[in-house]
Amino acid sequence: MSDDPDKVWPTGLTLREAEEVHSYLIDGTRVFGAIAVLAHILVAVSTPWLG
Amino acid sequence: MAFDYRAFALRKLAAVGPKYLPFADVATEDVPLSRLLRLSLFQVTVGAALVLLVGTLNRVMIVELAVPATLVAGMLALPLLFAPFRTLIGHRSDQHKSALGLRRVPYIWKGTMYQFGGFAIMPFALLVLSGYGEAVDAPRWIGLSSAALAFLLVGAGLHIVQTAGLALATDLVREDDQPKVVGLMYVMLLFGMVLSALIYGALLENYTPGRLIQVIQGTAVLTIGLNLFALWKQEALNRDRAREMDNQRSVPFAEAWNALIAQPGMVRLMVLIALGTFGFGMADVLLEPYGGQALGFSVAETTRLTALFATGTLIGFAIASRVLSGPADAVSIGRVGALVGVPGFAAIILASFGGGALVFLAGVLATGLGAGLFGHATLTATIRAAPENRIGLALGTWGAVQATAAGIGVALAGITRDIIVQMPLLGGLSTAAPYNYVFAIEIAFLILAILLAIPKGGRTVQET
Repeated sequence: MSDDPDKVWPTGLTLREAEEVHSYLIDGTRVFGAIAVLAHILVAVSTPWLG
Repeated sequence: MAFDYRAFALRKLAAVGPKYLPFADVATEDVPLSRLLRLSLFQVTVGAALVLLVGTLNRVMIVELAVPATLVAGMLALPLLFAPFRTLIGHRSDQHKSALGLRRVPYIWKGTMYQFGGFAIMPFALLVLSGYGEAVDAPRWIGLSSAALAFLLVGAGLHIVQTAGLALATDLVREDDQPKVVGLMYVMLLFGMVLSALIYGALLENYTPGRLIQVIQGTAVLTIGLNLFALWKQEALNRDRAREMDNQRSVPFAEAWNALIAQPGMVRLMVLIALGTFGFGMADVLLEPYGGQALGFSVAETTRLTALFATGTLIGFAIASRVLSGPADAVSIGRVGALVGVPGFAAIILASFGGGALVFLAGVLATGLGAGLFGHATLTATIRAAPENRIGLALGTWGAVQATAAGIGVALAGITRDIIVQMPLLGGLSTAAPYNYVFAIEIAFLILAILLAIPKGGRTVQET
């Protein structure tokens, strides 16, 4: 296992595989982040807080 | 010599790793039922989303939030706009290139995110739209555009989830087991719809804005939870397939599409699905008011009508699953389904001409049975007729045709009834008359479907 230079620590995935898993994480963060921002704006429009 | 900690840790973690990763190590030949049941949970979330949109929010927006009915109808039609894109989603998932060898799971996950996102912003968008609190002074476009976005996101999400999910389920099992999987998926959709309708009804009995937020966002959390649970370890981490994907020539959509509709009988099958789904779908929203207005059923009794219809549908799925596991031709079973529907609707019409409640109930059961048989058989026929490696595209096309036909059917049923009510010459006769016109139209469409499904020499759908 550890002889393959392409495998990254610690999961045993190859670099490309690890990058793909990472891309799902990034996409998820972006989508959920945008949704959270939008939801906050909408709540602020109907029931404003901090002023 | 020092102990090589790094190598040791690497070995340990490599052994542990796959157990905690969301894909299976190996694609086993035999998929146990528990795993299929788990996968079918995505249909429960799709069912819950459909009920929330078409049933619950339809009422809440009009009654409690006092949003104009035409605006509500427009908003609820938005998810329908996305239905044709199911073909594209299916095709993209067929052609998906992934270093992990995944094909369907990335799409189901993306669809789940959109569905969640739509539900997460929907209650606030609706409150802003209805001018709740300080939102009275807010510009109108904020509420309109955010509500539209929320409905679009949910619609896009559920179409993506269902297309990729059905394709994944089809991928997982052997060909002769596919009818059973189709049945299971349909049953779970129905189960999700019935269960969520009951729960939403109970939860929103005493409406407050806070309760609306809780219910819709609860649905969002449930969607993502159930779908994650459903997806876990369903698709194998497959390096061979990843390599194959890399070497594969990517087929453009137009080419795959032309190849699909060039299949003998494919266009006919799709037209058949459109006609039949339209015919059965128009009844969805009219059975309850018809029972109430024309036959004098109470509210509790009309709710039981839906249960009776669902029971018939379940029986239809069960029969279709059993029959189609044998050598039966799927299209002719679909024809039988439409054939059962015709006397069913005839009985429903007869009930208002002195046929009585029993005739009506028998008619409702028969149409449910016909709808179940027809839906199951035509989906099975689509899967069987799909060229190899084009399952996603074929299922996407099925979904696009089916969802569009059902949506137009539901919309036209209401519009037709309202128009006939407005026309004194036709509608002034009795309260049952407008409904009976719609039921007669349904019979006409089912007869068209039956005629189309009669095999003509050399034009039957190829089943390989």
